[in-house]
Amino acid sequence: MTGQKLPKSFSELAPFVAQGWALATERERVAKRCSSTMEELTEFYDAVLPKVDEIMTYLDALPLNDLPEDAQRLLDLTFSLAEASMSVERYQQPGVVDGFDPERFLPFSPFGQVP
Amino acid sequence: MDVAVDGNGKRMETDYGKRWTQDYPELGTDPVPVASRLTQEYFDRERDTIFSKSWLNVGREEQIAETGDFFVQDIAVCKASVLLVRGKDGEIRGFHNVCTHRASKLVWGGSGCKRTFTCKFHGWTFDESGQLVGVPDEDGFYCLDKSENGLVRVATEVWNGFIFVNLDPNPKESLQEYLGEWGERLADYPFQGRTTCYAYQGEINANWKLCVSAFNEGYHVPFVHPMSAPETFRSKKNLFCRPIWVKLYPRHQTYSFYANPDSKMTALEALSAKYGPIVSSGPLGCPPGANPAGDPDWALDANVVFPNFFVDVANDWYFTYNFWPIAPDRTFYQVKSYFVPPKTASERFAHEYGRVLLRDVLLEDVETIEHTQLGLASGVRSHYILQDSEILIRHHLKTVENHVENRV
Repeated sequence: MTGQKLPKSFSELAPFVAQGWALATERERVAKRCSSTMEELTEFYDAVLPKVDEIMTYLDALPLNDLPEDAQRLLDLTFSLAEASMSVERYQQPGVVDGFDPERFLPFSPFGQVP
Repeated sequence: MDVAVDGNGKRMETDYGKRWTQDYPELGTDPVPVASRLTQEYFDRERDTIFSKSWLNVGREEQIAETGDFFVQDIAVCKASVLLVRGKDGEIRGFHNVCTHRASKLVWGGSGCKRTFTCKFHGWTFDESGQLVGVPDEDGFYCLDKSENGLVRVATEVWNGFIFVNLDPNPKESLQEYLGEWGERLADYPFQGRTTCYAYQGEINANWKLCVSAFNEGYHVPFVHPMSAPETFRSKKNLFCRPIWVKLYPRHQTYSFYANPDSKMTALEALSAKYGPIVSSGPLGCPPGANPAGDPDWALDANVVFPNFFVDVANDWYFTYNFWPIAPDRTFYQVKSYFVPPKTASERFAHEYGRVLLRDVLLEDVETIEHTQLGLASGVRSHYILQDSEILIRHHLKTVENHVENRV
């Protein structure tokens, strides 16, 4: 998705879309997390965390398998939040402490595509 | 009430002081030889006595739900490639993935849906039941009977939606017999409804047995997962993640992990828990077959099918590991976590949170395995010193040894 728009009520999160946090695949989200600084991760985390309940209330009114583009972008932002939370809440660094190289731990989809 | 002593000599009371190894006196309590079991010679014997003769999990039936759906599973240790196909009659069949003309690999990997499989080399064509149905320029052959040159079958059976193959042309027992009491206990766990799958794969530069033994004990948890799971699986009552239940079957194993009911969730974990399953969601609504001890402080069970397959069941989800030997010091792994398909965005979010947390925890586990391989390869230590919580490692190595030495 190349657009930048979010649903109107979440337009204050638009800067994070512009910074490239709305990503469609797990690999892209891992790469973004691991190439960000703790300052960037923390800023993103602090901004989106308080919005999670509001985001879910908004998205749950829409059909999951047919989300409008701007709503899908919003959901993708929360997936990046899951990544950022690991850095901010647990590791105090972008990547896993003493972890296996994520490039050697590759997603695949035996049951059809999961991004 | 028993006593556990922490690394600083501090004594703590524990409810989890049972000595499981005493229930299995045949295992003994001595150090266990391991370095001698990482050689090419031992690996070849494992191939001949274990991987060529055991029922091996290759996937789930939902992967090939429709007629003609197929996937290929290579079994490198046996130099085998197996083609799994759903037939017109609904049956799942396994075939050696080898053309019967000049023995070329028939399907070059992956998965998909086909009514026929055509060899890239000379166009011999087989249907979804393995019959040879097309031979280009058939008149040029001498006495070719197509009905006798279908694909070579591999014994294939399904238990609770899990597809297993056995490379022995005449398996000495059925899959049901092989799984035995272990399978009976998990017969009613709701695997069928959990069809959303998040999966990872790759190679580990370590022996397959070291991969198995990184995941069937809890003793490592405080040291390997201090930041990702600081108190999820431990508390003052159970400092060292001792099992809440252990059962060793003749070949298979179960180890129930403790969950700390007072574990503090992180901010996002707490939000995620409102919307979907978390790692240790407790025994509430505990599915049949899970939490055999009925302990209210239960997280999940590691259920290990000999030789190389884990089915770890939690309350609302489960995950599996397959460890495929490639060489004495190389293993291909697949990790899959399964959830009930999300109906809402918030459920999908909770899955993503669980997927990311499990992935990062596993990155911590997998990293230890290559260090163990390197340490053992140095030759300084020949044996493991195993404590009671590591009883499944003792049992797994013993079961391997029994096969290799033809005692089974």
